[in-house]
Amino acid sequence: MALDVEPAHTYQWIDAAAPTHPSLIDTRHVTGDLFGFLNIPMAVWIDEQGVIVRPAESASIERSPMRDIEIPEGLPERMDRMFREVKSIPDDSAEYRAAILDWVANGAHSRFAMSPEEVVAASQPRGDGEARAAACFELGEYLRRTVGHDAAIPWWREAHRLFPANWTYKRQAWTLITTPEGATENDLMQGPNDVYEGNWLDDVLAGGGGEHYVVRPALEPTG
Amino acid sequence: MITSSLQVSSLDFAAATGWDPKSQGMCRGEVCVPAPGALVDGMVDVEQAAKSLGMPLLHDAQHGVWALGSATATGRALATAVAADPTLIDRDGNPFKLSALHGRKVLLVAWSTY
Repeated sequence: MALDVEPAHTYQWIDAAAPTHPSLIDTRHVTGDLFGFLNIPMAVWIDEQGVIVRPAESASIERSPMRDIEIPEGLPERMDRMFREVKSIPDDSAEYRAAILDWVANGAHSRFAMSPEEVVAASQPRGDGEARAAACFELGEYLRRTVGHDAAIPWWREAHRLFPANWTYKRQAWTLITTPEGATENDLMQGPNDVYEGNWLDDVLAGGGGEHYVVRPALEPTG
Repeated sequence: MITSSLQVSSLDFAAATGWDPKSQGMCRGEVCVPAPGALVDGMVDVEQAAKSLGMPLLHDAQHGVWALGSATATGRALATAVAADPTLIDRDGNPFKLSALHGRKVLLVAWSTY
């Protein structure tokens, strides 16, 4: 399920993947609010009765080649620092993939399937700031769609201020500024711009660095 | 939830927020939060419901709309483990509800192009 205010932006990726499972689009980011997604990729596990058995957590299932890349010498300073922060993002992909397969095989008996009480307790904290940010983001999305992009910006700026740990709110807004209209690839640097106060690298550093960038799944080592 | 009125039908309120207005309060799964005065004759007083559920209510006066934030009554993103059932769209723009997948395990993965 893609979190993207512009469905058309997702089509090339969906079509290339040609998935056999449902491939959905959440244009309003309401699932972030309803399930606790605040970065991508994140996932929840839902059993056959519609009950969540693991809350929102980082959901990589393969190690990114970026983590093992040798950083070339002589890169511009920001790009060099960005590579270093990306490489420091924790990698739980092997353990998370193994946990999914264990749940598929064992269902409710999987040691990774939580009780309803555990799921609720382990879900993301939700205070007034996070809730208000969700309203700001949704209002911005509504105004962007019905009035125009400029009308969204004050509300999205406020969402970023209220909930700085929510990367989907920020990256969604940044990419609409830093990626030229019609570009086939997004600007993954998402660098400083004239519209929003934040940008990917400076916000990662402000949050304590790449090691704090993801909501790590609480899994035991698979050994 | 985006609304141009502070009085909405209980069906619309439930569809937009996941909280089902009932006589005992606002309910999701097994959780019901008392909400006195929020439900009258099938209509929800959004301000009363927001107060009961701890939902921030924002107003954009210039464009005449309100935005209702998520419930904070439990202090967690999930008030219950019963999965919410928002209406999403598929690749072709058709509405799709997660409840269509009941009976199967669902790995709901959030991704994006950015």
